[in-house]
Amino acid sequence: MSAKPSDDGSWQPEVDELALRRAQADALGGPAAVARHHEQGRLTIRERIAAMADAGSFQEVGRLTGQGRYDAEGKLLGVTPAPYVMGLAKIDGRPVAIGGEDFTVRGGTSWSGDRKKGGQGGFVEDMAHHYRIPLVNLIDGSGGSVTSINRRGHSVFPGVHGFERSVQLMGEVPVVCAVLGTAAGGPAGRAILSHWSVMVKDTSHVFAAGPPVVERSLRQKITKEELGGSGVAVELAGTIDNAAASEAQCFEMVRRYLSYMPQNVWHLPPVVDVGDPAERAEQALLSIVPRNRRKAYDMRRVIQLVVDRGSAFELQPSYGKALITCLARMNGKVVGFVANNPMVYGGAMDGPAARKQAHFVELCDCFHIPLAFLVDVPGFMVGRDAEAAGTLREGMRSVFVGLQASVPMFTVVIRKCYGMAGMGATDKNGLELKLAWPSAEWGSLPIEGGVAAAFRREIQASPDPAAREAQIEKELRAMASPFRTAEAFGVEEIIDPRETRAYLCRFIDAAQERLATSVGPKPKYGVRP
Amino acid sequence: MASIKIKTEVTGSVWKIEARAGQRLAPGATIMILESMKMEIPVIAEDGGTLVELHVAEGESVNEGQVVATLTG
Repeated sequence: MSAKPSDDGSWQPEVDELALRRAQADALGGPAAVARHHEQGRLTIRERIAAMADAGSFQEVGRLTGQGRYDAEGKLLGVTPAPYVMGLAKIDGRPVAIGGEDFTVRGGTSWSGDRKKGGQGGFVEDMAHHYRIPLVNLIDGSGGSVTSINRRGHSVFPGVHGFERSVQLMGEVPVVCAVLGTAAGGPAGRAILSHWSVMVKDTSHVFAAGPPVVERSLRQKITKEELGGSGVAVELAGTIDNAAASEAQCFEMVRRYLSYMPQNVWHLPPVVDVGDPAERAEQALLSIVPRNRRKAYDMRRVIQLVVDRGSAFELQPSYGKALITCLARMNGKVVGFVANNPMVYGGAMDGPAARKQAHFVELCDCFHIPLAFLVDVPGFMVGRDAEAAGTLREGMRSVFVGLQASVPMFTVVIRKCYGMAGMGATDKNGLELKLAWPSAEWGSLPIEGGVAAAFRREIQASPDPAAREAQIEKELRAMASPFRTAEAFGVEEIIDPRETRAYLCRFIDAAQERLATSVGPKPKYGVRP
Repeated sequence: MASIKIKTEVTGSVWKIEARAGQRLAPGATIMILESMKMEIPVIAEDGGTLVELHVAEGESVNEGQVVATLTG
């Protein structure tokens, strides 16, 4: 024991030592290391947790962990804190498990005492699992270090502290990962095992291995930014979902994301009434789709006009841009919107768009968030590049995921709805409610693409093949009016675009009984293509 | 003055050029219209600026992410 026994028989000396140990923990890697960290435009892990959590709500666990230094008599000289800080906190009044690496101590490299604190598994993840509360990972670490061989006297097998709990959490509670510095190796992998991830532009990077390893392995000289800045990780690769301009904005985005999520899969997401009437009809919707079929329009604006005012939160806005995925509210209830973006490839589904849709549909299904599809899709992306990129496989995977989902889905055909991609935007396991705007058109494939192939002989035999092709196209198009399909009840309703919000709100309200009686983990069958 | 590189979001061809070098463009103004997947896809100057240079001509093929124009803010 390092504290001297007290004269009055109390435990005051030990409590004094506790205070000293807590102060050492609060000092992180010491003033010099903290100053260096601040100079790089980054907050410390304690500042991050304070900024992320409701004021005064952080209840730390494992504050005394670290490496104690003692004199010859066993008196405490100081403690180097473990490079991971975690505990319980509240975000918007709801409990979460929160933790992150402390970069100011050994660059946030992994640490292991008798029990792991967090990072990959560990107490913080156990807490999220056992208490069924969301997990917020604030990542700033480079994973394992070869110096651990020295410390342990042996090398550890990969996965000795594995991802098994992290994977389990993906079907139980919302997991959010914010990359706030360098995430290499394990911490980078940890960032991906999340329902939603975000990184800070310029000050954060994510890669399997950093520039020194890349140079040694491939003789490529490359900067951290070129290798794993948001330009690569968010925009090109879709490795991380969203980018934030600053740490403060990043925390705001995490808070916003969690506001759409239930605490776990055994609950429904919170209903927040923003006082926006369900019957609100927007005049702009009447003319937002140009009559000229070649002209694109702003699908994001359609979403904004339809959902509860200001409630749309876009996930992956700069990846797979032919598709828009948003969490939003309709009459207070959380709804996932999947909308094709006619500004990019006319909304054709390419590989990244398909991957984005598959992830988003699975996310919404997992947390019992109904889906609304705003459809304007000419089909899968075509062309040699698209085939080489595996668009068919990615596309069919998104169709497969959609067909396994069991949340209610609502289809609104804005313009084109063609082929397999169009089929993937319907509720095949459910009511399959399909509403259509008067601008809607559909089929196995667009008429203009199909006429030349289907009527090849007839066109070739004609004295004026081009005129014959145009004539056939015109005849077919006349029969393709959405009203004719509505007569046959092939779509359930054609609606005035201004009625979109009211229609969807009524059906989403009605689906709440179904949602409330289908909570719990979603089973997984079979093999994704 | 910051130089702004305008990139295309799509692979396709340049259908129509709408702006001239030296022209001052309001935020959201159309620089050119591409044709991709049988659709007219506008390339816009999101934040506006002065068009310094066009890097493509009408009829030319463009790839996703290609720089097609340079602006100064």
